[in-house]
Amino acid sequence: MTGIRDKVGQNRSRLPHVSRRSFLVGATAAGGLALAWSVWPRSYDPNLTAAEGEHVFNAFLKIGDDGHIAAIVPQCEMGQGVTTLLPQIMADELGADWRTIAVESAPISPLYTNTLLVDEDSGAFMPRSLVPDFVADVRSWVRREWAVRHAVMLTANSSSVRMFEGPCRAAAAQARALLMMEAARRWDADWQQCDTQDGFVILGKKKLRFAEVAAGAAKLDPPPEPVYRAPAADPLYGKELTRLDLPAKVDGSANYAGDIRLPDMVFAAIRQGPLGATRLKSIDRRAGMKSPGLLHIVEHERWLATVARNWWAANRALDRFAPVFETDGPPVSTTRIDTALKAALKADGYRIRQKGDVGAAMEARKKISAHYAVAPALHAPIETRTATAATDRGHVRVWVATQAPAQCRDAIARATGLAPSDVTLFPMMAGGSFDACLDHSVAVQAAIIALQIKRPVQLAWSRAEEIMRDIPRAPARAKMTATLDAAGGIDALIARIAAPSTNHEFRARLFDGTPADVAQREAAGTPDAVAVEGALSTYDIRHFAVNHCPADIGLPTGRWRGNADSYTAFFTECFIDEMAARSGSDALSYRVAMLGESPQLARCLLTATSLGGWEGGVAGTAQGLACHSMRGSHIALMATARPSERGLQVQQLVAVVDAGRLVNPAVARQQVEGGLIFGLAAATGATTDYGGGIAAARKLGQLGLPRLSQSPEIIVEFVDSDRDPGGLGEIGVPVVAPAVANAIAAATGRRIRRLPLSTRPL
Amino acid sequence: MTRFSVNDRPVEYRMDPETPLLWALRDASNLTGTKYGCGTGDCGACTVDIDGEAICSCLVTIAECEGRFVTTIEALSRDRSHPVQQAWVAEQVPQCGFCQSGMIMAAAALLRKNSNPSDAEIDAAMTNICRCGTYPRIRTAIRRAGRVMRGEERIAAAPPPGIRPADAARAVPALRTPHGD
Repeated sequence: MTGIRDKVGQNRSRLPHVSRRSFLVGATAAGGLALAWSVWPRSYDPNLTAAEGEHVFNAFLKIGDDGHIAAIVPQCEMGQGVTTLLPQIMADELGADWRTIAVESAPISPLYTNTLLVDEDSGAFMPRSLVPDFVADVRSWVRREWAVRHAVMLTANSSSVRMFEGPCRAAAAQARALLMMEAARRWDADWQQCDTQDGFVILGKKKLRFAEVAAGAAKLDPPPEPVYRAPAADPLYGKELTRLDLPAKVDGSANYAGDIRLPDMVFAAIRQGPLGATRLKSIDRRAGMKSPGLLHIVEHERWLATVARNWWAANRALDRFAPVFETDGPPVSTTRIDTALKAALKADGYRIRQKGDVGAAMEARKKISAHYAVAPALHAPIETRTATAATDRGHVRVWVATQAPAQCRDAIARATGLAPSDVTLFPMMAGGSFDACLDHSVAVQAAIIALQIKRPVQLAWSRAEEIMRDIPRAPARAKMTATLDAAGGIDALIARIAAPSTNHEFRARLFDGTPADVAQREAAGTPDAVAVEGALSTYDIRHFAVNHCPADIGLPTGRWRGNADSYTAFFTECFIDEMAARSGSDALSYRVAMLGESPQLARCLLTATSLGGWEGGVAGTAQGLACHSMRGSHIALMATARPSERGLQVQQLVAVVDAGRLVNPAVARQQVEGGLIFGLAAATGATTDYGGGIAAARKLGQLGLPRLSQSPEIIVEFVDSDRDPGGLGEIGVPVVAPAVANAIAAATGRRIRRLPLSTRPL
Repeated sequence: MTRFSVNDRPVEYRMDPETPLLWALRDASNLTGTKYGCGTGDCGACTVDIDGEAICSCLVTIAECEGRFVTTIEALSRDRSHPVQQAWVAEQVPQCGFCQSGMIMAAAALLRKNSNPSDAEIDAAMTNICRCGTYPRIRTAIRRAGRVMRGEERIAAAPPPGIRPADAARAVPALRTPHGD
């Protein structure tokens, strides 16, 4: 988006001259690019637009003459509450009245780069040429420079608060300083003696509203370093404030991409055929053109779109055109996926992590092994992929939910031949996503259709299309092998994990616009550290190793709420439970004995079992445990579950979470509850078989997603903590399947080693 | 014939009579609060009230609606004052919010008939799918809305839409009207 430059930063002289190189080094030293707000090069001025009577303070804040405070949120709201959390942090530091806070989506700008994510997950979020596989020591400034230049504003990996708490707080401190400086100027006082509270600058008995000083304050030069507010007696940070987006979400007024209405707008439906290298071969034009209400068709090399005055008429027309597709190469199928995973697991693969000397430790010892298998996991958000597009003299405007707006804009530009500056993106709230909005196909398709038919169009995928063309979380298989010491404890452990090289293909799709089937083929066989993330990551085992065995499964795969941790935690936590049972130990004490280096996780486990009434894990109790750490957070879960005549009954989930400091405990609780239910869905369903390149499931009801009646009693407790916030979006997901599997093993003596949970043999 | 009442207004849709009500509401009437999630009656995101019953609008044609009274989320109340809407905010139910119009319409229809439903009755009435996992709160919020409907409790959690700037400035000291105090 080409934003309109505001007056902030137009005064070039006040920015110190810094070379690009010293800027980057300086930024790294400051611990985050956005923190170094006082040394932004000219090209990175905020590109916010200000309404009349509104004043831009920096990239994160505008304040109006009426006293409203517009907090700029550079992340996609997909239910995680980020449009409340980041404003809450800023309001707290500003000393604002919460009732004056408004929220705006950020425009595309390098200022909002998610450098934390790029640092943490460079394997996934960097082009391959810059990060050789396995090379963890690539200098961070190279990564950051690349990420900043490409405005990598990703929403992913539970990173919103972890990344943006610092920049939001610094931005608020800067704005607060300016407000105090302007008030002090009027009072002829020292600004450092002033304070702020409830939307006022105060000095003794003197008070001025932010509203009254905003215009003057925005013109002043900020202090060179942020000056932070002393902790308030009644801070907004940590309060269970009501989410700002809730009123609009209870009366139907919250707008998603499919709720945009434009003059002369029409509605499009699409069919894309089987997965793989698929081309549109033919359509029954004679039958199709007779479809009632049909206005236009758009034939693309890879898909057919129909356009009508309402979406249903457009979608019905697709059937009459009966498009025929042609796919090169062997079709994707469940059999092929399984065969590829099994074959990959036979090889040693690539060693991703290790400690000690697992080979020597295991030599000539009795090894105990178990195999596990996990099916692909669909996102299945309730909102199907939807985008609205309108063209106007060589420009295209697109309304879509995206977790990577700059890459979405670039993908549209690439596909339409327009310059990125001729593409304007309006970031919308997502109706779920769960990382599905890292794929931009629908935005690109909507733009192509709008350009071709020359009128505004809204494209929504049907549910069948959504299931068939979803890029799921990878399936995986594992062989876990251990040797036990005399007391039954694990002294050496190898996790061999067969999975596709998801993150290489994801990266090629996201940054290079590579078609999914091409990206899948090109990535096949390459080692991918992110594909085995979370395996054996918490336990203190003297000798261990984690191998990735890359599998060429033919099915494109992508990111998903919980990512690889959602299967690696299943492998680890089930296997640990099996070893505990084998050695006749209590699954709790067996784990705690290995958590010497993870005291926070041990504490979660002890609290969860105490809350849930752990009965020692003996046969017949129907109780199961699992614990996991990811994204700076820790969770322990105790599940009570047993099979019944009506299927699996998960009766209770007791979770204890240490996620550090909580910005808003109510939103944190929502995230953990939601993560647990998302994990439960993946434990029991949320998948499909494939045959002939097509998903077997076509309807939402075929995915086995839990409903209210299958929702267990859920208890969530947080550990009080002052440490920096950990991620909350995903932490609930990975523990559910292993805890439930372990509960079933306790209840029945039968060990299930397959996800979704099924006694079908491996 | 496709003449019926939508949110207390008489409407005639000049569309194929086989058009599902959902698409008439969304694409002809621009009542976009009612959502498409599956088209097969599985998710309930398109739930509306037809003559007092919670019905998936993707499964009923506009021909079948002839002469009936349809109420959508936009007209459940004019000001978010319905006890279900208030309870939904008070219990912080929504996350992404996409399924919530349907959830709220289903809950409102349930409570209109029975303001004190049992767990089993809630389970039977609330078959909508939510992927964010709002289920535990939905049960709590329905109980709370029931208490409000029975006169045992009052909630003022969700503000009405369209508060005038002058009224806001009177209530919030940090605000002022554009023309000063």
